[in-house]
Amino acid sequence: MRTRSLAFVAAALAVALAAAPALAGDAFRFGLLLVGPHNDRGWSQAHYEAGRHVEKTLPGTQMVYIDKVNPADRPGITIPQLVDDLVDKGCRLIIANSDDMKDGVLQAAQEHPDVYFVHVSGDHALTGTAPPNLSNLMGRMEYGKMIAGAAAALTTRTGKIGYVGPLINDETRRLTASCYLGARYAWEKILGRPAKDLEFRVSWIGFWFNIPGVTADPTQVSQNFFDNGYDVVVSGIDTTEALVVADQKRKQGKAVWAIPYDYEGACDTAPDACLGVPYFNWVPGYTELLRQAREGTWKSTWLWLGPDRKDLNNKETSSVGFLPGPALAPEAKAKLDAFVRDLAAGKTNLFQGPLNYQDGSPFLAAGETASDRQIWYMKQLLQGMEGQSSAK
Amino acid sequence: MTRAAVRYGVTALVLVAFTTAVLLLAGAPPWDAYRSLAVGAFGSWGRLARVLTVWVPLTLCACGLLYTFRIGLWNIGVEGQVVMGAIGATWALRHPAPSAPVAVAGALAAGVVLGAAWAYAAGLLKTRGGVNEIFAGLGLNFVAQGFVLWLIFGPWKRPGVASMSGTAPFPPELWLPTASWGRVAPVAVALAVVAVAATAALLARTRVGLHLSAVGRNPRAAALFGLSPARNMLLAMALGGGLAGLAGALQVAGVYHRLIPAISSGYGYLGLLVAMLAGYRLAPVPVIALFFAALNVGSIQLPLVLEVDSSLSGVIQGAVVLAVLVVHGWSARRAPEGTP
Amino acid sequence: MHIQLVDIHKRFGAVHANRGISLSVGAGTIHGVLGENGAGKSTLMKIVAGFLPKTSGEIRLDGEAVSYRGPADATRRGIGMLYQDPLDFPALTVLENFRFGLETAGRDPRALLADLAGRFGFDLPPDRVVERLTVGERQQLEILRLVARNVRTLILDEPTTGISATQKDVLFAALRRLADEGRSVILVSHKLEDVQVLCDRVTVLREGRVAGEAERPLRTNDLLGLMFGTVPHPPPRCENPAGTPVLRLDGVSAPGGRAGLRDCTVAIRRGEVVGLAGVEGSGQGVFLRVAAGMVRPRRGRVLFEDAPLGRRAAAGRVAFLPTDRLGEGLVPGLTVREHFVLRLPRVPFLLDRATAGPDARAGIDRLSIRGTPGTPVEALSGGNQQRLLLALLPERPAVLLLENPTRGLDLESAHGVWRELQRYCDAGTALVFSSPELDEILLAADRILVFHNGRMVLDTPASRTTPDELARAIAGLGTGAAA
Repeated sequence: MRTRSLAFVAAALAVALAAAPALAGDAFRFGLLLVGPHNDRGWSQAHYEAGRHVEKTLPGTQMVYIDKVNPADRPGITIPQLVDDLVDKGCRLIIANSDDMKDGVLQAAQEHPDVYFVHVSGDHALTGTAPPNLSNLMGRMEYGKMIAGAAAALTTRTGKIGYVGPLINDETRRLTASCYLGARYAWEKILGRPAKDLEFRVSWIGFWFNIPGVTADPTQVSQNFFDNGYDVVVSGIDTTEALVVADQKRKQGKAVWAIPYDYEGACDTAPDACLGVPYFNWVPGYTELLRQAREGTWKSTWLWLGPDRKDLNNKETSSVGFLPGPALAPEAKAKLDAFVRDLAAGKTNLFQGPLNYQDGSPFLAAGETASDRQIWYMKQLLQGMEGQSSAK
Repeated sequence: MTRAAVRYGVTALVLVAFTTAVLLLAGAPPWDAYRSLAVGAFGSWGRLARVLTVWVPLTLCACGLLYTFRIGLWNIGVEGQVVMGAIGATWALRHPAPSAPVAVAGALAAGVVLGAAWAYAAGLLKTRGGVNEIFAGLGLNFVAQGFVLWLIFGPWKRPGVASMSGTAPFPPELWLPTASWGRVAPVAVALAVVAVAATAALLARTRVGLHLSAVGRNPRAAALFGLSPARNMLLAMALGGGLAGLAGALQVAGVYHRLIPAISSGYGYLGLLVAMLAGYRLAPVPVIALFFAALNVGSIQLPLVLEVDSSLSGVIQGAVVLAVLVVHGWSARRAPEGTP
Repeated sequence: MHIQLVDIHKRFGAVHANRGISLSVGAGTIHGVLGENGAGKSTLMKIVAGFLPKTSGEIRLDGEAVSYRGPADATRRGIGMLYQDPLDFPALTVLENFRFGLETAGRDPRALLADLAGRFGFDLPPDRVVERLTVGERQQLEILRLVARNVRTLILDEPTTGISATQKDVLFAALRRLADEGRSVILVSHKLEDVQVLCDRVTVLREGRVAGEAERPLRTNDLLGLMFGTVPHPPPRCENPAGTPVLRLDGVSAPGGRAGLRDCTVAIRRGEVVGLAGVEGSGQGVFLRVAAGMVRPRRGRVLFEDAPLGRRAAAGRVAFLPTDRLGEGLVPGLTVREHFVLRLPRVPFLLDRATAGPDARAGIDRLSIRGTPGTPVEALSGGNQQRLLLALLPERPAVLLLENPTRGLDLESAHGVWRELQRYCDAGTALVFSSPELDEILLAADRILVFHNGRMVLDTPASRTTPDELARAIAGLGTGAAA
């Protein structure tokens, strides 16, 4: 056995040495590390398709990707190892698309100073801990989430909105709070109903998507919402369970709706139940960072890109968008359009005081408008929201 | 000797035929797939380092399982023992220590102790409670997994964050130093090699090995020789659990540098497979573990190069087991008559 | 049926079990195959019955050379074998077992069973579950099955082991009847008296070869001469004045076996030899295990030298030799030397090939065990395994508990065992042994305890009892001492 296996190892090594690295000529290769499957109809697919799009719009670029980059799907694999693989494949810019890769990317960036790195959703460049070859990229999804919240409030009949949250951190707190702000505004200011009649509850599953046995099951969480009188469920996770469950409930005759997240085409899964989707469009961000890397104008930056206020769904200019879904009623859609116009024009700013944190402590004083930093680093959920603000 | 050679040859043939069929079904060109796997595992020093990183826990778990197999116990709980080892190491690393080497050594020791204790618990359930060790082990696996989730989501969470992604990473000075030529901790490899040598010596050359054999092959006769089956079973469990715990501690100190829910990476179960394919003998364990480690590491090339889903490597792994079992079955049926 | 075996050889790897055996069994005769353990009897019979393929040689049935494809094929050709352990379905009833695989050709199986049983004088309740039958009754059932399937040659392997004297008489009458009907019977045994009573003709095997043949009248010394080359002498009796009590059972009840052990009070004295009699499973086995500290009593106390018997308290002082040598006494897979290592008072942590080597060689020499220190114990014959167990006994036990110490051993080996036990007895060790053979108990014991259904029903000095009294006690018939 031993000699035989040694022979096998030797043969494998021989093959390995004989195989020359197949590097394409002058193409500028960039690598994508996707936390979920590339076709998850959510977060990872949005990144994957932006990469494919940029490959076409920026001639001479070429994308390599590895998906399902998480310890549950790829046991024993770490981010620095995969970065090594991508660098071996000739990648000169590497985009890591998950908050979960934060520490691994920082380590890899320090180990490969001649390769550019982008950590999506992170804050190394904001806090000043990033090496010069590491930038951060994020979309101002607060905008999309406010619209989503408004759509939910304009639709709900029971006045109960559920939110399937992933894990609890700065990012998810501010997005969930944005959704609530949009819902409360629509409920009070557009529909003119008392704030006390609106319930907004968050339920966290523990990760960005379902890991059986580790996270709470988002299907279960969504079902619980619908079974307890919540008729609109907004998803904050990478995948579409809430929408799928809403569709099932509708087929059983229940008047319920859902709002998925992340990916432009997410509504296609179940259009009849879909009120619309706030989504990321990574094309502008990718384009900008690739341009910097190729032209040698790279500078470690913290990019927080917003919507195109003139054309919310413009592929080349708007980093976040909202596509209304087929299930949104026409009168609700009309009111929502008006709300979006006011938002774009700056007539409405929902991050304006007075706003209190969940425990009653002040977040913004009366008349105070939140700074980017204040929004980015929200300490708690807001007063009026039910659900956990931070880890117990 | 020649019979064994024929058997290995036939196994290899069956294996290649089976995996080629699977690859063709999946629409991957088999030759390219094999080549990517081999290159992905052994194509550079860095890759080899990564293979060794997987080889270490697999070998440790499989070595530990030899003690329990020797005494006739199925230590399914090895998975949970890896997890507990990781918890022990994390716990130790969270406490201040006089120096980094002391902290890391303490973490490894804590991993060994906690892994051994967890196995001992399964052993007690067996010897005192009369619970079959398979069920005791499975139960304790669930408890360990639940415990690690609770720690990550609760007491050991990152400040302000509640996420299943894991605890905050330890500062780099608490990481096991890696080799200059690749991402592997030489200390971990050395510990695995020592574990193999120690297991060989302990099983073949000491009282411990003889007692485990005696109890494993005939507990009632062993009792007549004044050996306590229960005490020896607990010893075997503790030895096996200690090695599994060490594997878990090395996952924390040498690979992930933090505690994550999937810290065991399924190496416990894979270690069971390795030990079984090795025929419960030590000599083939390091080689089979290397093969599985190479498959594990090389398979990342399948999506990268061929855009084939890397879960195919799981299918190949299954094919290995099947091929070995099939050939083993054949040769057992063709064994000469009699030999009473 | 006329069976001829011509130059049969059988090899198991390096072991040459049958070395050119030829013999001939005529129709309507009872043919004995005699030999000490390991002489090759069982192997030869398994070849004849189709259970083992022969290495070379020829089997002729009524003059026609045959080769079987398996035991079922042999049965079709009219050869049936009764094994030492009955091959039946314990969970099914007598009738269900009887019907199994039987083509009754329109006859009611219940009537057929009753008919056959009546013919042979068997008393088999058709609806009783087989696991509740005695060994002898299971044997009877097996014979009826084979007869119903029209077997023309019946092979019996050690059929008188573990059955009562009455059952033996019934069995022998049935075999006679079968022979009178023109069937052939082959009786494999190491017991001279069985063969002498029953057989017309005997083939004696020794070390895989035919040592000789004999016809009626079968003289003991002739047969012993053929079996061993020389006639063995019976061992001398141990004559020891009984000393003070060393092991006491005080109102002990314990589970185990068929009947368990119920309310047993007895004291074993230094230097005495105590025989335990009774139908197998009547409580002797549990008694020995309780006395050895291996089974914890449910009620009552066991005292060794006036202190409660603990697992370790009596280590090396109370020794137990179980009857199932490979199942309970030895560790298959370990070598002879490794057994001696296990027996060392303090096993060193580091072992090598020399550890306990001298002990092993000394033990092998002292008890003339056929094997080397490196032989795996499962490769030893039954007699050699028993001698090894004796060699492994502690130096100076106070009490030696032996379960059927000569089971399956031929006369020579049995005598050897007793000669060895003699040494212990002379040194003042109390011997307690069980045996299914009343003769052996009467020959060796100073004192006899009889068990019936879990209770000790008789406790008598051997010199003051008769085989008749013992037999009545064993059968559970009143002796005055019975509770």
